Amino acid sequence: MVDYTKEIQERAKRLLEDKKVDAVIGYRQGTVPMMNEPILVRETGKTDQLYWDSFCGVNLANYLTKRKERLAVVAKGCDSRNIIIHLQEGQIKREQLHIIGVPCLGMLDRRKVWAKLGDKEPLLVREEGDQLLVSGRGFEERLKKSDFLQDNCAICIHRNPVLYDELITDPVKEPQRTDRYEDVRTVEAMDSGARWEYFEKLIEPCIRCYACRNACPLCYCPTCFVDESRPQWVGKSLDPTDVRTFHYLRAFHCAGRCTDCGACERACPVGIKVRQFTKKLEKDVWELYQFEAGMVLEGRPPLDVFLPDDPEQFIK
Amino acid sequence: MSEPFEPKIITFLCNWCSYGGADLAGVSRLQYPPNIRVVRIPCSGRLDPKFILASFRRGADGVWVSGCHPGDCHYIAGNYYARRKFALLKGLLEHMGIESGRLHFSWVSSAEATKFQQVVTEVTEAVKALGPAQHFIKKMPEVA
Amino acid sequence: MIEKILSKKEFNDWLKELRKSFEMIGPKTQGEQIDFAPLAGDSAPELSFQNSRLSPKGFVQPASEKMFQFTVNPEDPEAHILKEILQETSSRLVVGIRPCDARAFNLVQLNFVNPDIQDPWWRQGRERLTLMGLGCSNPCSTCFCTSVGGGPFDGSGLDLLMFDLDQDYLIQACSENGEALLKAGPGKTSTEEDQKKAAQLKTKAEESIAAQVSTDHLKDQPLLGLFNAPFWDEVQFACINCGTCTYLCPTCWCFDIQDEVHGLEGIRMRNWDSCMYPLFTLHGSGHNPRGEKVQRVRQRFMHKLKYYVDKYENGVACVGCGRCVQFCPVNIDIRRVCQLMNDYKAN
Repeated sequence: MVDYTKEIQERAKRLLEDKKVDAVIGYRQGTVPMMNEPILVRETGKTDQLYWDSFCGVNLANYLTKRKERLAVVAKGCDSRNIIIHLQEGQIKREQLHIIGVPCLGMLDRRKVWAKLGDKEPLLVREEGDQLLVSGRGFEERLKKSDFLQDNCAICIHRNPVLYDELITDPVKEPQRTDRYEDVRTVEAMDSGARWEYFEKLIEPCIRCYACRNACPLCYCPTCFVDESRPQWVGKSLDPTDVRTFHYLRAFHCAGRCTDCGACERACPVGIKVRQFTKKLEKDVWELYQFEAGMVLEGRPPLDVFLPDDPEQFIK
Repeated sequence: MSEPFEPKIITFLCNWCSYGGADLAGVSRLQYPPNIRVVRIPCSGRLDPKFILASFRRGADGVWVSGCHPGDCHYIAGNYYARRKFALLKGLLEHMGIESGRLHFSWVSSAEATKFQQVVTEVTEAVKALGPAQHFIKKMPEVA
Repeated sequence: MIEKILSKKEFNDWLKELRKSFEMIGPKTQGEQIDFAPLAGDSAPELSFQNSRLSPKGFVQPASEKMFQFTVNPEDPEAHILKEILQETSSRLVVGIRPCDARAFNLVQLNFVNPDIQDPWWRQGRERLTLMGLGCSNPCSTCFCTSVGGGPFDGSGLDLLMFDLDQDYLIQACSENGEALLKAGPGKTSTEEDQKKAAQLKTKAEESIAAQVSTDHLKDQPLLGLFNAPFWDEVQFACINCGTCTYLCPTCWCFDIQDEVHGLEGIRMRNWDSCMYPLFTLHGSGHNPRGEKVQRVRQRFMHKLKYYVDKYENGVACVGCGRCVQFCPVNIDIRRVCQLMNDYKAN
C-alpha cells in the first residue's frame, strides 16, 4: 500500500528542487480532527508539511484561478476535472500547471462521524486500512470507512485523475456507472407542491454566508450576481425568496460545469445538502446532451455549444 | 361577484421573429387574450435566467419566451444557445416546485401571426388553470 | 452575591414560573445542530449540549433587522418620511447561554454603547436580555476561553451562572438583576458541600481546556511590524473568504445597511456583513483598500487580536468559543495565528 503522504512530499520536493514549478499546492494536516488545510509550499525545506488522508475534501482547483506562477497541484479525480474546466474557461494556462494526480478512494464526511458518535467528542482520528479509529475522553471506536463517505464520493465514478502530469500511484479501479441520480428521481416523483416544501425545508437553515459559493472552484466571477446592485437581482437578507433565488441561480450558473466534488456541501456551516440543487442539472445535462463536465480537455461546456437537433419537445 | 382570475404573463419576444409575428397578429386584427406583458429582446439568446427569476419574484403568474425557429435566427445561432439554456432552466425551476404550466417557450416566426395567436391562447389558458402564483414572490423582506 | 442550590425539578418548575414575565430562549435541536431559539409553549431548553452552532448574538443583532420604513404613496399623509420601526421591548430570558457567548456581549458593547456613540437598536436588543448562563462542565477540544480572559465558569457577562451538579443546579447570582431574580426564586442557600462540588467542577473544567494560546505580548507588539509581518502570506493562502468565521463568531459585529423598495413602500434594514467579502470595503469611487485576499485575512486577525486590544485596552476581541476553529472549511486556526502574532519578532 503506497504511502500517499510520503509520495506527495517526495514528488513536491523533486519538482521544487528541479525548479519545474514555483510552488506546490497541497494539504497540511489540520489542527482539529478530520480536517486538513490547503497550503502553498515554495521551499523544498517545507515540503514535509504536505499531507494526505481521507479528509482532504477541499477542492484545490479553487486556488488556481488567475494565478500567474508555475504551480504543481495535488489533484483527485474531481479536482482534475475542475482543472480541465478552468483550462477550458481560460482561468489558467496548461503550461503553468504540473498536476500531481492522486487516485482517490473517497473522502470521508466528518458530519457523519459526528452523527454516529452523538455526544462523544472525537479528539483523535486515525486511519488503519479500511477502518477509522476514533477516540476521545473515555471512549474508542472502530468505524468502517465506507459507511462514512461523503455523499458525492459514495456515488463517484471518476476516482482517477482525468488530466495529470504524474500519478503518485497506480490508478484505482473505477466503479461501473452507478445510478447517480436516485435522490433527484425521488424529488421528480413528487408533485410540485411537495417539491416546493422539500426545497423550502432544505434551505431553511441558510444564513447567506456564501461558503458554498466560495468553496466552489467554478465560482470565480469578480462580481457575483448577488453583489450586483444596478439592478439588484437578489436581496441580501434572510428573506426566504431571496435565499432561494441565490441558490437556484448559483446552481444554474454551474449547469454543465459542476463535477460534483462536494466542496459546497462540505463547506456549509449549517449542513445544507447544497448538491441537491446541482444534481438535477447534472442529470439533465447527461440525459439531454450526453455530456459530463471536465472529462475531455478539447471540449467546450455544454451551454457554450449546440447541435442542430438538440431536444426541443418542450418548445411549442 | 368576484372577478375571474386574469393572469399576468411576462412575455419575452425576440425582436426579429416573434415580436414581428406578434405585430402581424395585431395588424391582422387577430383576437387574442390580453394577459401578456411584452418585453422585447434582440434575440432569444439574450434571455438570462435572471430575467425569468425576476419575473416570478415580481409576481408574474406565468413567463413565456419566444424566439426565431432554429436556423432562422437573425444572429445565426442565438436561438440554438437559448434552446439549451431553456431546457435546463425549465427542468430546474419545475424541479424546485414552480408548477409546470407557468413557464413556456416557443418558436414563432415573423410571418406566423396565427401561430402567435394560438400560442398566446394556449399559454394564457395553461396559466389561468393554475391560478395566481403562490411561490417565489418577493414582497417586503420576511425577516425578524 | 447570593448562591442557591435547587433540584433540577425545582429548576424546571421555576422556568415555568419565569415564563410569566419573560419570553424564554434556549438551546433547541434544529436539524443537525443545536441553536438558541425561542422556546414555545412549555418546551424545556435542551441543556445537554456543548455549544450552539450559531452564537446567540442574533438575539441582540439579528441577521436581518428592519430599522425604518417609508412610503412614497401620494395618498399616505406620512409619505416621504423615514419612520423608525419600533423595536420590541419585552423581556427575554436566555437560558443555557455559555459564559463565552455572554462575555462576548460585554466586548461588543464597548463598540455599540459608549459615551461617544450609541447604537439604539443594539442597546435595546441587549437590554431586553437576562442571561442565565450554564457553566461548561465539558469544554470542547476547540475551546480556549481561558487563554483570552474568560473561563468555563466565568460569570462576567452573565446575570446568573448555573453549575450542573448531576441532580441539582447550584446557581450563582452575577449581577443585581440576577440576584433579584434568584432571591425571588425557589431553592435553598448553597451549603459548603455544594460549594465545594461546584468549585471542583470549575477547576476540572478549566484544567481540561487543552488549547493554550498566548496573548501577553500582543499589546506590546509594534502595530506596523505586525501588519507587515511575513507570516500573513502563509496564513491567508487557504482562506476562501467565505464568511463562515464572521457569521458564527459571537464578537464579530459588522453589518450592511440597505434599503429595499417594493412598489411604493420601502424599508431600511441591516444585514450581517463580513469583512471577508471583497465588496466589504469597495468605495463608491471604485477603489478598494482591501481588494486582495491577504489584506482581508490580515485585517480580521489584526482587528480581533491587535486593534481592539490597543483601542479598548480590554484584551482581545475573541472569547475562545472555538466555533471558527471547528467550522472554517479550510481549517484556518485562530489559535495558531494568535500564537504567530504574539511570538512574532520583527527583524
